[in-house]
Amino acid sequence: MAARGHVHDPNDRRLRPIYDYLDNGNNKMAIQQADKLLKKHKDLHCAKVLKAIGLQRMGKQDEAFTLSQEVATLEPTDENSLQALTILYREMHRPELVIKLYEAAVRKVPTSEEYHSHLFMAYARVGEYKKMQQAGMALYKIVPKNPYYFWSVMSLVMQAISAQDEKLSQTMFLPLAERMVEKMVKEEKIDAEAEVQLYFMILERLGKYEEALDLLRGQLGEKLTSELQSRENKCMVLYRRLECWPECNALSFKLLLKNPDDWQFYLSYFESLFHLIDQGWTPPEGEHCVEGEVHSSVEQAISFVEERITAEDGKDSRPLRGPYLARLELIKRLRERGCPEEQQLGEPLELMSQFFVKFGSKPCCITDLKIFLDLLNPDQYVQFINRLMEAVPLGAPENNGVALPGDTRALQRHLCVSQITRLLGLHHMLDAAGKLSVIRELKSHYHNGLQFGDENMLWQCLGILEEGLSHSPSNAQFKLLLLLLFCQLGAFEPVVDLYSSLDAKHVQHDTIGYLLTRYAESLGQFAAASQSCNFSLRFFHSNQKDTSEYIIQAYKYGAFEKIPEFIAFRNRLNQSLHFAQVRTERMLLDLFLEADISSPLEDSVKSMSLCPEEDDISWDNMRDNRDLTVLTSWDPKYRQLTAEHRQRSLEEEALWLRVRSLTLRLVGALASISHPPSTHNSEKTTENGVVPKASTLQHLLSQLESTLSQASQFTEKHTQPYPFFGPPSTRLAQALASGSCQCQLSAFQLTTLLLELEIAGLDMPPCVSEKRQHWYPNALLLFLEILSKCKGDLLEVKDGQCKAQPSLLERLVFFVETTSVVLWVSGYCGGVLRPLKSSLQKKKKKKKETTVALPEVFTGFQEYTSSLQTLLSQSLDHIKGQEVSLTALKLADLSLEGQNSEEGTFTKAAMDKVQSSYLRSLQEVGELLRKRMDTMKALKI
Amino acid sequence: MIIIKNTQPQRHASVTMTTLRAFTCDDLFKFNNINLDPLTETYGIPFYLQYLAHWPEYFIVAEAPGGELMGYIMGKAEGLVPKEEWHGHVTALSVAPEFRRLGLAAKLMEMLEEISERKDAFFVDLFVRVSNQVAVNMYKQLGYSVYRTVIEYYSASNGEPDEDAYDMRKALSRDTEKKSIIPLPHPVRPEDIE
Repeated sequence: MAARGHVHDPNDRRLRPIYDYLDNGNNKMAIQQADKLLKKHKDLHCAKVLKAIGLQRMGKQDEAFTLSQEVATLEPTDENSLQALTILYREMHRPELVIKLYEAAVRKVPTSEEYHSHLFMAYARVGEYKKMQQAGMALYKIVPKNPYYFWSVMSLVMQAISAQDEKLSQTMFLPLAERMVEKMVKEEKIDAEAEVQLYFMILERLGKYEEALDLLRGQLGEKLTSELQSRENKCMVLYRRLECWPECNALSFKLLLKNPDDWQFYLSYFESLFHLIDQGWTPPEGEHCVEGEVHSSVEQAISFVEERITAEDGKDSRPLRGPYLARLELIKRLRERGCPEEQQLGEPLELMSQFFVKFGSKPCCITDLKIFLDLLNPDQYVQFINRLMEAVPLGAPENNGVALPGDTRALQRHLCVSQITRLLGLHHMLDAAGKLSVIRELKSHYHNGLQFGDENMLWQCLGILEEGLSHSPSNAQFKLLLLLLFCQLGAFEPVVDLYSSLDAKHVQHDTIGYLLTRYAESLGQFAAASQSCNFSLRFFHSNQKDTSEYIIQAYKYGAFEKIPEFIAFRNRLNQSLHFAQVRTERMLLDLFLEADISSPLEDSVKSMSLCPEEDDISWDNMRDNRDLTVLTSWDPKYRQLTAEHRQRSLEEEALWLRVRSLTLRLVGALASISHPPSTHNSEKTTENGVVPKASTLQHLLSQLESTLSQASQFTEKHTQPYPFFGPPSTRLAQALASGSCQCQLSAFQLTTLLLELEIAGLDMPPCVSEKRQHWYPNALLLFLEILSKCKGDLLEVKDGQCKAQPSLLERLVFFVETTSVVLWVSGYCGGVLRPLKSSLQKKKKKKKETTVALPEVFTGFQEYTSSLQTLLSQSLDHIKGQEVSLTALKLADLSLEGQNSEEGTFTKAAMDKVQSSYLRSLQEVGELLRKRMDTMKALKI
Repeated sequence: MIIIKNTQPQRHASVTMTTLRAFTCDDLFKFNNINLDPLTETYGIPFYLQYLAHWPEYFIVAEAPGGELMGYIMGKAEGLVPKEEWHGHVTALSVAPEFRRLGLAAKLMEMLEEISERKDAFFVDLFVRVSNQVAVNMYKQLGYSVYRTVIEYYSASNGEPDEDAYDMRKALSRDTEKKSIIPLPHPVRPEDIE
């Protein structure tokens, strides 16, 4: 941030040191310097603003704001003040104030191109499209430059895009934009490529495809030169949309002659060809169409493809895959139509084998062939694999009977055959012994090339992957697989390092951050969980400000097509499922870890400005930005991720998020009706505040009830797990199975019973108090049930095999989360009962009644809390016991079947990691439980 | 001073079976298979948006028939025309492991060069880690030569200097005498390059 402008202005010289201090982060000195300057030059407004920037950066937001407004009300027009205020407002995240600033400035200096342009950008930052349209025109009137005119046009287009009413876009905004451009065309004033782009965008959005085509093929279209093949690509899209199949075909044909490897044009060539055949199209005399020669028969297509292949075969340089794959694609399409001509092209098994001979050593051979495996009959699978194996050069068999490839190319070929074998499901048809022998064989292959059930298999996998990673420390697939396996085993500790070694940053937090946030908290590693949420949150929060700046840049550079794209991008991030999840989980986590421990619940809720009445999640527009294919899978079709899986996973994530978000808001509502312990006169708040807040609570509670019943229907309906490489399932099923959802729900229900007591006082109808008296034992039973489901050994060695039960750990975490909720509710109850009890005792004292038994409304609660206490100490004993037995476990003595000593070392190292991670989780969970126990003292009434 | 002539015969860069198209924001959600590679940097959102706003034509992605992203190139045009420094610059070029050895990088470079030709640039340049022999050799095969070494151009994530870079160049047709690629005799510091 440096002062610009006129060098001769003495104020610049005076302000310079303050700028320098601010630039160097020395805010204190900047403020001092500003004060000094202001003493001498009272009306040097900019110094005030710079001081405000210093204050803002020191965290004194209120002071900064007040000071800035002293200047703002003067409506400054000097460049320094305007610039400084803009910077300040941006740091305050108050873009709307920049608008006010420049609106005043252009009012005072109506001919300033610069201020008008700043005003336009200020509107752009907040998306005030109508104002932008006007500001653009105002600018154009002052300085008739084309870009200003087109800024205005683009703002009309943006009004069309953002309009709720599609009719308004089509009948008002877009036609107006079109007329504005047409005017410039008539006056022959169009000179930039961006302007033609924008014209095209308008015509396309208006559905005027014919006109758009004329534009592209006409003189103005010649301006579209920056992007390669831009005109051709755009024409192609329009031909398809207008179903101009002859033109589409001819253009595809032309482009394929130029580049016989561009896959999209083979697709449009075939698509148009079959449309023409179906329409019975016959070529006219002379030129076929404006794009040239058209193919309209299967024979022509066959010979076209064959010619491309002949040309490829006769070439010296590296052959292209396109023509060979186009032949398979044509067979596929002919077969779908039932055309016997497919046989003229050859037998798929034969052709695919030939393809493998040519391209088998390329890593992409597998993805190429994958699309065409359906052309084979299942009874050809074995024959096909055998044919492929003939083209894999292997050496003489080793002493374990496995023949190995001699070089990288051979290895790649072998790998490809293995992948296809797996894709065809041949691995999955084997029995356990067969599978193990495949594993053994693949392992020898792996060791050679420096590569690669029941629980034993899982440990072996971990070992192999650890070994793989030690040889290829930057292989992302090894890391991701390890990460997934460790998480499935309930061991989060090693995951932290694995993930950070992937160096995932920025947008990757949104796409693969779920790998961390799904597991960290649920496996009891709370510190790591907070950190994972923070990584993601920091990214999302910077997005809003960042994208706005580049929307402005796009205007400046005339990249009009990018403007709606950037806005859609910003929305996609703001509406991200993962964003909503980390937002919610971060707050819940903070409450679990701190509320009523380091500060009272009410303060915690207040400090995170959690508003229980507000739902800040856009459920209807939720975007699932997770990259669910980050792990490469070579499994057969029936084990691959489908669109249905994705849909189901999103539905499940949303359900679980709703449960969590409602829980969070309920805790917020609970805090809002709680009495701070110091307030003696509680009756007053009862009258004013509690009743409406109680209705919020009631409302949220009924939502939670219905969400939970939806959730249990969902889990009953979908019992099939996702594919192994697919999305992880949420905690939902476990939460329901552990009983923690029911227990938390019942805790919140007690709140409403107590509310009634609070409002009605002790003289309430007996039916209500009866309800309450029944509530306590029921709630205790629910709570006990969760704990009993946590019992068992996390890790044990049985018959020389290591067995893990990670679900016990997840349940323990649910137990501690539920403990927090139950104790918060108890805290509220205590707060209601305490004043009632003391006023009762006062009355008794007056009446001089001695030692009459307390009403059961108090005793019931006291019994309840003391039982809670007992339960909690039991849980702590259980954790202690687990820690002791885990520490005593000697994994080093395990003999590992089927692994040599080097592999065994890696497997044991992996086991050690799991063991140590479990210990850490137990420690974190135990510590939190102990802290929660300590808060029970405050429950005395 | 020795003028390195571009003696490498211009092999017709083979093209991959691919769909080549403009990179869009949505591709940021799909590029993990490319960017989880340790030599490929994932930048902050502003960096990508800046390129998309300013030089959209220079940001091209290759897509496989199955919809997976294969690789992308990201570049820009900069420098002063009167000083004959107006040139195309390769900011990032990366191909996913499973789509390597298909000539895709060469095809993307060829496209960037063609765009730079249309803009009447004098040359195309790029920076590469001196240790990245595979990349250096590939660029040499494509007709690039080392123009200068930039000392400690790369830094580690902790901010410590990490490695030197080669600034490699290839002259375009406007630079008929190939003046832009005459190598500098001495290495330069990062602060000395424009």
